[in-house]
Amino acid sequence: MKLGRDGIAGLFGLAVSLLLLPHALGLPRLPIVPIGPGFYPTLVLAFLGVTCALLVLQDAFAQRRPAMPATAPETTPDGPPRAYGLVAVAFVTVAAYVALLPLLGFRIATTLFVAAFQLVLERPSTLRQWVALVAIAVGTSVVTYLVFERYLTVLLPRGSLTGW
Amino acid sequence: MLELLGQGIVTVLQWKYMLPLLLGTFAGVIGGSLPGFTITLTVIVILPFTYGLDPLAGLAAMTGVYVGGSTGGLITACLLGIPGTPSAIATTFDGFPMARNGEPGRAIWLGVWASVWGGLLGALCLVFVTGPLAALALQFGPWEYFSLFVLAMAMVAGLAESSLLKGLVSTALGLLITVVGTDPIGSVPRFAFGSEFIGGGFQFLPVLIGIFAFAQIMTDIEKQGDRRTKTASAVRATFERFSHLKLNWEIFRQPFLLLWATVVGLIIGILPAIGGSASSVMAYDQAKKFSRTPERFGKGHPEGIIASEASNNANVSGSLMTIMAFGIPGDAVTAVMLGAMTIHGIQSGPLFVSQNPGLAYGIYGAYILAHPLMLLICFACMPLMLRLTAVRLAVLAPVVMVLCVIGAYALNNTMSSVYVLLIFGVVGYVLVKMGFPLAPLILGLILGDQIEINLIRAIMTDDNLWLFLTRPISGGLLAAAALSVALAIWQHMRHQKRTTGDEEPDM
Repeated sequence: MKLGRDGIAGLFGLAVSLLLLPHALGLPRLPIVPIGPGFYPTLVLAFLGVTCALLVLQDAFAQRRPAMPATAPETTPDGPPRAYGLVAVAFVTVAAYVALLPLLGFRIATTLFVAAFQLVLERPSTLRQWVALVAIAVGTSVVTYLVFERYLTVLLPRGSLTGW
Repeated sequence: MLELLGQGIVTVLQWKYMLPLLLGTFAGVIGGSLPGFTITLTVIVILPFTYGLDPLAGLAAMTGVYVGGSTGGLITACLLGIPGTPSAIATTFDGFPMARNGEPGRAIWLGVWASVWGGLLGALCLVFVTGPLAALALQFGPWEYFSLFVLAMAMVAGLAESSLLKGLVSTALGLLITVVGTDPIGSVPRFAFGSEFIGGGFQFLPVLIGIFAFAQIMTDIEKQGDRRTKTASAVRATFERFSHLKLNWEIFRQPFLLLWATVVGLIIGILPAIGGSASSVMAYDQAKKFSRTPERFGKGHPEGIIASEASNNANVSGSLMTIMAFGIPGDAVTAVMLGAMTIHGIQSGPLFVSQNPGLAYGIYGAYILAHPLMLLICFACMPLMLRLTAVRLAVLAPVVMVLCVIGAYALNNTMSSVYVLLIFGVVGYVLVKMGFPLAPLILGLILGDQIEINLIRAIMTDDNLWLFLTRPISGGLLAAAALSVALAIWQHMRHQKRTTGDEEPDM
């Protein structure tokens, strides 16, 4: 049986549902409640399983019909190619920021992140653009720190390595 | 009631509330006018700023974003042919041709004025109908609430543009996220598998911010380059001479159009999770059907702009009514507002207005005052807004990401919320790329706990499951849910016959 994008997603959802179902069914019942803590999760997992199974079937039938392509095109009909590599790098940059936050603290990590993220999305070519990049990175860090910590008294992460 | 409303307006007129409302409205207009930024993302960005504020000040800021954003979307819709927000989609149909015909000022300001009048007419309903709706909601027992939530989810899943099944899978995923953690009655841990990280379950806001903000920003990053070339034309836009009085006369000489578009917007707003884009398109469709000159629609007809903009601003008041009377978010923006209310320890629902009259009438006041403020902002800052629509994604994206991280971290000052944000950011983006709509997932996420609690309450009161069907309101709501799914199946089958490809869904 040939499956497309929807079918694979459906199979994944079905697998999640079947994997979690025994856990939901095995949850202990409580004497004060007529239905146990596993009742509702079982309903949800059954709902997920059934809808995913139907999605797999729908996709399998759709794959048989040559006129109905089930996978999305890599490019928009009238737009430029999608920059998936850039998205992957962007995710890695955000993940690095999240990892560095508790180590370097909000102020340093944010300055580095904003600068790095700008570089990822658009590399400056002139000195003026480099200055703007640094100014935006430092400015974002300083302004958010002042607004949140000083004005709104919202605590921001401190760095275990820097104490900042 | 009018006395309370007067007090609410006077309260919001204090600088303590007026400043957040003004800044929120400004942010809304700007966020709404940035293509691909959306009102939801703007309200997410504003969210962390509200943590340190008085609840009313925070909600006033969010109301301002909502009102401002609903109008801001029309700027790029008229000038670039790209709706700044999905709710301005129908404004593009006539606003862009009108602007191309040499009347960009008339196109934009006609939309702004229609937004103001539609929004203020909606405010009348917000003030006078929320109470009766809440009184109706008070008649609801757990059976009715359960059925109402099922109806809400059936409607939003059925409206998914890609496929009904994907909408339902998305709903199920949202519900599944809510069952992780301890159960609401006996605090029995579920699906934690010994992990402390997920043992307490996932907090709603980091999940929502992750799913929506990341999916939005990363999708924009995918299209890098396309946006810059298109926005460049906005900066060069200059307005022709026009009279604001004449524009208002254009609106008020067709009172039925304004009223009907407002009513359509309100009804769509009250129905859970349908959103502004549907209301704008439906009002546009209705305006065309009732028009004496339907052939002029799509060629720069003012009626099209008036219908779309009056409707999408009235839609805001409808959504606010739903959240205040039933505790159900009308759309993703009110979902974030609901989250903000929870942070401040406020329970929305049928008792919200009677138990928090100061806050409720303050929100009404903020909603009403947001309209003249939005008008003032448009008068004062239109050139600035035209410049800001050209802000580069390379600048915007990192700043938004930082604010999202603050929004998640500041909830309980732990990094675990930030990790949740990142995890669900990836999940949201993958789901969008797989063609799954996010709105049903978010609704499932919001309503999951309430569905379970009401289901258990109903069964604890009487274990006869037939009561869900035999109690008139509950049965009626479940029948409406079934009808909604059946209608969606019929529409999808009809749609499939007409088209051959599949589309990336509306987030």
